[in-house]
Amino acid sequence: MNKCDQFRELIEAYALRALDVEERVAFEAHLATGCKDCAKAVEEARWLVSQLGYLAPDAGPAEMLKGRLMQTVRSEARMTKSSLKPKTSIHFWMWAAVAALVLLTLYSAWDARRLQRDMQTANQRASAILQQRQELKAQLQLAKREAQILMDPNSKKIMLPPKDALMPRLEAMWHPELGLCVMGQKVPMPANKRVFQLWLIPKTTGSKPMPMQTLWPDADGKMVRVVENTPEPMWNTKAIAITEEPEGGSPQPTSEPMWLGGVS
Amino acid sequence: MSPDAMLIQQLLQRDVDAFERLYDRHSRIVYALVLRIVRQGLTAEEVVQEVFLQLWRNAARYDTRRGPFAPWLMALARNRALDHLRLKNERQRRREDQTEELPPVIDVPQFEQALDEKRRAERVRALMGSLNPQQKKAIELAYFEGLSHTEIAETLKEPLGTVKSWIRNGLLRLKEGLRAAT
Repeated sequence: MNKCDQFRELIEAYALRALDVEERVAFEAHLATGCKDCAKAVEEARWLVSQLGYLAPDAGPAEMLKGRLMQTVRSEARMTKSSLKPKTSIHFWMWAAVAALVLLTLYSAWDARRLQRDMQTANQRASAILQQRQELKAQLQLAKREAQILMDPNSKKIMLPPKDALMPRLEAMWHPELGLCVMGQKVPMPANKRVFQLWLIPKTTGSKPMPMQTLWPDADGKMVRVVENTPEPMWNTKAIAITEEPEGGSPQPTSEPMWLGGVS
Repeated sequence: MSPDAMLIQQLLQRDVDAFERLYDRHSRIVYALVLRIVRQGLTAEEVVQEVFLQLWRNAARYDTRRGPFAPWLMALARNRALDHLRLKNERQRRREDQTEELPPVIDVPQFEQALDEKRRAERVRALMGSLNPQQKKAIELAYFEGLSHTEIAETLKEPLGTVKSWIRNGLLRLKEGLRAAT
């Protein structure tokens, strides 16, 4: 027995919508399986059922019904057309839109410039903070290095007595690998536009003093200078000297040493 | 393309004249059908107005390639009228899941094209008039009252199987009669 056979006698009643619920549900489940034969038969049965409308006794609607209906339809059609047709006020809206666009453009340009300035300021701040951080980092490294030099037993202590008895005595600690650290307390500021400069005096006969970093005390008179890479090794250095030189330092001493201490 | 199909095409362009012509062509049979179902003139006019406004607002949902317009419109009108009837009789809950917003596809047999509306109406009435009165009554209860097999059996006090056979055989006889008329 074909699967459709059990439903065949339901097709006309289904199109008529006369099936009871159970039969209707079962038949619709069958249609849902995609049965093309039954679907086609249902479509034809619907046409057949529609023909039953001709059994209704002939009667016509009142003319007023058509009037009301056409009035509604014409009104809706006008609304549809008016919604599609460009409105007379479009020029105003167009100019308003253009004006709004111009204002928006100007505001955008001003805002972009403001943002650019803000970005520049932020970048400058960031650079300053970065630089400050790098400086602090460098200072921290120097402080660490200074501590290492001071604490390491291999460091050699070098006394730097002043030439002027009124000046304080300086000290230096020199580690063969970590570097040289010069320090002192209550050091007076050098003369205006002058700085102190560190020199290494080699042992080699006839050699000129090796110029090193410039240095100056802080507001409390404390002066500390760490030199990580000395131009001469400790074993080849006869003495350490500090002179007063013009700002930026000098390639060779221009004054007598204010502090001088022998290394070995 | 049939006249109805051309008018539908124009209707899709919001052509009011096309709508008016469709109304003039079909409002009489639609009104007669709806009146037969709801049995009250004012309600019938209300339903007819609803049907044609739905056509005006949702013409795009009728696919001219899938079948003729008149059966589709009549199915739409019948559904709307039965909805009103169900509301009135408080029976809508039983069958509201069967009600569709718009009728489904109606496939027309080849022979339908050759039969004009007036002749078809006469032929349908003649064929149905030739049926056993109880058989005709059963079909009319289903079509115009929206009753199910069981409800018709209870109304006519006939066995359920008999009612089922009456309806199916009556519709098949109508189909053969319309086919023979062409």
